[in-house]
Amino acid sequence: MAKHRFDDYLDAAAALLRLPIAAEHRPGVLLNLERLAAMAALVEGAALDRETEPAPVFRS
Amino acid sequence: MSGAQTSALEIAATVRARRMSATEVAKAALARIRANDPRLNAFTAVTEERALREAADVDARIARGEDPGALAGVPYAVKNLFAIAGVTTLAGARIEAETPPASADATAVARLQSAGAVLMGALNMDEYAYGFTTENAHFGPSHNPHDLARVAGGSSGGSAAAVAGGLVPLTLGSDTNGSIRVPASLCGIFGLKPTYGRLSRGGAFPFVASLDHIGPFARSVRDLAAAYDALQGPDARDPACTERPAEPALPVLDQGVAGLRVGIARGHFLPEFAEAQAAVATVAAALGAMREVEFPEAARARAAAFLITAAEGANLHLATLRRRPGDFDPATRDRLLAGAMTPAAWVLRAQQFRRWYRERVLEVFREIDIVLAPATPCVAPLIGQEMMMLGGAEVAVRPNLGVFTQPLSFIGLPICAVPVWPGGRLPIGVQVIAAPWREADALRVAYTLERAGVVSAPMAAGF
Repeated sequence: MAKHRFDDYLDAAAALLRLPIAAEHRPGVLLNLERLAAMAALVEGAALDRETEPAPVFRS
Repeated sequence: MSGAQTSALEIAATVRARRMSATEVAKAALARIRANDPRLNAFTAVTEERALREAADVDARIARGEDPGALAGVPYAVKNLFAIAGVTTLAGARIEAETPPASADATAVARLQSAGAVLMGALNMDEYAYGFTTENAHFGPSHNPHDLARVAGGSSGGSAAAVAGGLVPLTLGSDTNGSIRVPASLCGIFGLKPTYGRLSRGGAFPFVASLDHIGPFARSVRDLAAAYDALQGPDARDPACTERPAEPALPVLDQGVAGLRVGIARGHFLPEFAEAQAAVATVAAALGAMREVEFPEAARARAAAFLITAAEGANLHLATLRRRPGDFDPATRDRLLAGAMTPAAWVLRAQQFRRWYRERVLEVFREIDIVLAPATPCVAPLIGQEMMMLGGAEVAVRPNLGVFTQPLSFIGLPICAVPVWPGGRLPIGVQVIAAPWREADALRVAYTLERAGVVSAPMAAGF
């Protein structure tokens, strides 16, 4: 089976998090990492300045 | 009068006037659940003993001449992530079935009980609220009452199916990325996702702390507003719950829409789907809304909400993901495992973007009071359907049902989902979106549309 571009990341993150990934779950996890990477690429494209601080509190 | 068609407020009026006892109403609702739930699989627990006890309490209060509450004798049920004293809180998960029964009610359940409502049971949902279809691997799928072969939507699918099928007139659900608005849309009923922080989540099993909301479902706007009013008020159990005093919506519903500037969301929210387009056009025409407005970068907002959800949701379940990943619903598991590995840089960037997006959207609301957008891209998909067409491309059903809801809950906006019937047979919802803390404006619009016959939530045929 061809190596997936996130294979190494998955193994490293799993070791760091102490989160074992069973062989049968691996394809699904890789697919979802792909989806997350696509979402992250979209968000990365936004032009933000460093004064824009996170704020999950909402006021009118 | 307590047939399946009877509204919550009609039931309360009947019980208060002693034309029927709360106990008779409760027994009729229990009989309907027994007869019809096998076709829907909306309930995961029926709290018959509690229902009869609460109904007897309401009857005793009335007999003593006390005020039995605004929702006296109204049967209701809650998504199974709300704590019910004596019942195990499942949150749709087999793993949680091993936990002891809850020792106390969730705040929302306690408030509805204080208002005289009578709890009938707990309702099916996607595992840990991470889904839009309620095709739960452990407890089975909930069925759409308007077509049993189709999904009810999710994650509050049981809550929507129970109302659309007339089992109860009122239910509670939760909405993190669309979990009230999506099932309301697919089951053809009204659903309210209030402003983030408006209603207490005390005793509700969490999913994504900075995105979680709770709210009601009903077949009429007046019932929805009455439930919302009963649920309002500060609560120390929920750190995000507002200190603002309650702002009752029911008394202002008949103020109409005069003075409200209504617009239509364009860009991301202008779908290529005939049903969704027709639904928004119908509602816009009825309100005389011509102006198009844009929530800038809504697709990025949806992506940012997606990332925050994956990371926060996975972090919540990290201990069980390590120990027993095989016990999760396969539909949830791989997303949570991947979510646990989300790089911090992605999540922090998403939170930073959230601030920017909030500022831009609040600017839009300086020019407009209400914005209309579709609730879902399509009517209910079939149970088991994996793929659907979206904007000319084939995409997975599950993550994409929330494509129009997710960018709005992301910044906590209050939204009422209203049901439209473009083709006649299957419903689709429109989101009536208001500025933060302006739930009453959205409900006034919904009520105006309902009175004009533009939106409606008829009980499904055959129930």
